[in-house]
Formats: sequence, structure tokens, C-alpha cells
Amino acid sequence: MRTYENILIVHPDKVGDEYAAVVGKFQGVLNELGATILKQEEWGVRKLAYPVKKQGRGSYVLTVFEGEPGIVAEFERRMRIDESIIKFQTVLLENGLQAPAPAASVEMTDEDEEEADAEEAE
Amino acid sequence: MAEDRKPSGAAGRTPFKRRFTRRKGCRFCADKALTIDYKEVRTLRYFVTERGKIVPRRISGNCADHQRKVREAIKRARNIALMPFTAGHYLD
Repeated sequence: MRTYENILIVHPDKVGDEYAAVVGKFQGVLNELGATILKQEEWGVRKLAYPVKKQGRGSYVLTVFEGEPGIVAEFERRMRIDESIIKFQTVLLENGLQAPAPAASVEMTDEDEEEADAEEAE
Repeated sequence: MAEDRKPSGAAGRTPFKRRFTRRKGCRFCADKALTIDYKEVRTLRYFVTERGKIVPRRISGNCADHQRKVREAIKRARNIALMPFTAGHYLD
């Protein structure tokens, strides 16, 4: 069982219940694939560093889940099909879930993280 | 006068892009609370020039291990548009 951390960017036009539907859909996909979701964080709409699919903004969703390695390919295939997801990235977390990763915009909470999260490319 | 250590191999004069003063030790070895994570853009921003390029190790003063982690984190942050590839992105 490996721990993966996934970030996906939802199209900015998807708001309110459409946005919730997309997030819920992918939670369902994960559960259906047998993954256990350890943590889900939504950073809301943020400004993108560069235009993605002609959009300057996007809503970020961070999901940390645990599961068999095989499910990531399927999970990513589903995300590619879905148009409302404009970008995603899945990363293997070497040593499981460390201290809760602070959202990029939230102030850094000063927990004592023992050692850095060693993450190698998926 | 900041101690003017001659960068090895470079011609006599200091490299022209000397905007950054030479940091002594590696930031991550010294201060343990600092984690390298592709989501924490604020810490990564120290290692990127205004044009969005990664600062070389001889200027950022990182040790090899941490510099590789920083580079990997920056590339991941760029991949999900948390950090720009180049500063010149026109934003509509």
C-alpha cells in the first residue's frame, strides 16, 4: 500500500455545485478503486502562474490517498477524460503522510516537522 | 566588503549575475523546520530568479542533496502552475 498525493486544478467556470460534483466524482472514483482517502484539502480559486487552457485562474484540490500502485494509472486516465480538470499531478509520498502539508497560500503553521518529505518522481 | 571568494574555474572577474550575495551554509541543513515541498511556494521562491530560473547551487549555497530536492520541488510546482516557467507569461 503506497501513499500518493494528488493535486488537480478544476476549470474556474465550474463553481458551486458543479465544482462539488467534480470533486465528489473523483472521491467516488478513488473509493471505487479501493483507495482510502487520508486527507482532502481544497485551496479554492487561485491565480495560475501561467495561463492553462486560456484560463488565468483555477481551483485547486489536494488529495492524499493510500492504495495499490495500479490504481494511479486508472485514476489519471479518468482525469484526462474529464474536461473540467485542466491539470493534475500525482506524487508518491515516500514515507507516508508527514505533518499536514500547509496549503501554498496559508501561512506556514510551525509544527516541528522532523525531516523533509522525501518525494521522488512518480 | 563581502568576502570575495573567487568562484573556481570562472574567469578572474566575478560572474556578471552577482545579484545574490554568496550565502554561507546550506539553509536546509542549518534550520531544520524548513521543509522542501512543492506546495510551499514561499520557501521555493528564494531559489528562483525574478525571471523564474532556478538559482545555481554555487550562488544559493545549498548542499547537493538539498539543491536536488529544491530543483525537483520547483519543477513540480511549475508543473501545476504554482510557479511560473518564465516571468514573461502574459496573463490575460
